[in-house]
Amino acid sequence: MITVENLTKRYGSTTAVHDVSFTVQPGSITGFLGPNGAGKSTTLRMLTGLTPPTSGTATITGKRYADLPNPGRVVGVMLDAAAQHPGRTGRETLLLNASLLGVPKGRVEEMLAAVGLSHAAKRRVGQYSLGMRQRLGIASALLGDPAVLILDEPANGMDPEGIRWMRGLLQDFASRGGTVILSSHLLGEVQATVDRLVVIGGGRIVANGSLDELLAGSGTFVRGLDPIGLDQALTAAGLNLEPLPDGALRVDGTAERVGRAAAAAGQILLELRQSDGAGLEDLFFQLTTPVAEAA
Amino acid sequence: MTTVTDIATSAPAKHRAEVATALPPARGQTFLKLVALELRKAVNTRSGRVLIAAILLLAVIAIGWQLTHLPQGPAGFDGFLGAASTSVLLLLPVIGVMAMTSEWTQRTALTTFTLSPRRVRVQLAKFVSAIVLSVVVMSVVVALAFAGTALAGAVTGHPASYVAVGGQLAGAYLTVALNVVMGAAFGAVIAQTAVALLVYFIAPTAWSLAGPRLFKDNANWLDVFGAFGRIAERDLHGMLPETLTSIGVWIVLPTIVGLWASSRREVK
Repeated sequence: MITVENLTKRYGSTTAVHDVSFTVQPGSITGFLGPNGAGKSTTLRMLTGLTPPTSGTATITGKRYADLPNPGRVVGVMLDAAAQHPGRTGRETLLLNASLLGVPKGRVEEMLAAVGLSHAAKRRVGQYSLGMRQRLGIASALLGDPAVLILDEPANGMDPEGIRWMRGLLQDFASRGGTVILSSHLLGEVQATVDRLVVIGGGRIVANGSLDELLAGSGTFVRGLDPIGLDQALTAAGLNLEPLPDGALRVDGTAERVGRAAAAAGQILLELRQSDGAGLEDLFFQLTTPVAEAA
Repeated sequence: MTTVTDIATSAPAKHRAEVATALPPARGQTFLKLVALELRKAVNTRSGRVLIAAILLLAVIAIGWQLTHLPQGPAGFDGFLGAASTSVLLLLPVIGVMAMTSEWTQRTALTTFTLSPRRVRVQLAKFVSAIVLSVVVMSVVVALAFAGTALAGAVTGHPASYVAVGGQLAGAYLTVALNVVMGAAFGAVIAQTAVALLVYFIAPTAWSLAGPRLFKDNANWLDVFGAFGRIAERDLHGMLPETLTSIGVWIVLPTIVGLWASSRREVK
């Protein structure tokens, strides 16, 4: 479990992270979102003891990162897959870490196989593609069989097959009681992977909750046999709605309320579902744009 | 149908499910383990290996040159040791510098310090491993120098001279170790490989050229080359305070500043 309390980081007169608090519970995947420069990486670096916070605390399984006797056995960290020595082979990179973590060499071969790098283990990391470095970074993070994973942009540079594989891996990890926090700009991927969201904008938390809760606000998509009649029926029921170009409606309200209002007016529905598509994308801009403009 | 399933099962799976192995219980990281790891990191990259190979190759060339330009009379071990250790004194500190800087220039500090958050321990381990490496490389060079001396003795027919071997060796090992620590200290203060190397090579030389003109004999207080020379000769010429001051300013002070700086430097 990860606990962040009132974390603040100031550089001179600029505040990169302002009074940020959130928790990540075991058995869940939390997406950590925000535009570039919003303070995501700074927060993750404070969480992993790389950057001293100006004030506030961050703990992992109840301890400050620097107080973990052998952090790699508790928390797997991948902050930048590109930050690996290009002159070492993939296997050597993992063997070094395995030695530090006190795990047997066999574990290295296992992890290479698990991330699909066995064939490239003898090649130098300098020759790896970004996707391969991401896989190596994941292997490194999982090496000590940690209970917590902290991943910055893990899907960056991965092919669709790799992204799907990672989604499965993280969901499996969480279902076994693991705690995951990941940042990503691939919003579709985040929506498909995470259970909870923490959104940061201008150094402050602008949203924190379950994915379902946060997306629920974005409304219901409904299409009727008689678009004008349906529009009138729903408006009469006191629902705010927005006509879409193809005759469908996006309604601020649950599917149940829309269904009841339509049924009461005898309107025939062809389609009724939660409004999705760019749901997370809309939410993201809605949450972060005003802050970015104000800044 | 059979064919299809056969293909499906025999095709190598790109990803296999993670095999859960029972791992040994987590323990802290001993200082010895950190030193061993830093030693391994110094030699498991291509640049590290090339540097060590270059040092040894230059030592062999120097001994070869010495063999083909033998003076009259018995060949002395000191000549061979001096010739062979020049390349060590010149290039081994580069390994010391790179041990410190490459973490930042290659950005591996991100991994190193997330796996070992107590940075001063890691940095101290780097210093110790640089000293260990210098002793190992120096020992190979010393063996080469012995071989060269013996060969010269056999070729010329004069018995080779090994006058005061113990003292020469002590002086050589100590000078090399001090140079390597100085390189590592400069690397710890300045996290850019090129800049750190430049400053390491130029600053003391600049002082040894400019210092005496500006400050006459007082320049000796900061002349680290003079100090190295006196240590190599194992004769301080009554200049113990000057020697200690030079070592303090050029080696101890950068080491302390470097440990302090690299423990606070933000890892990006």
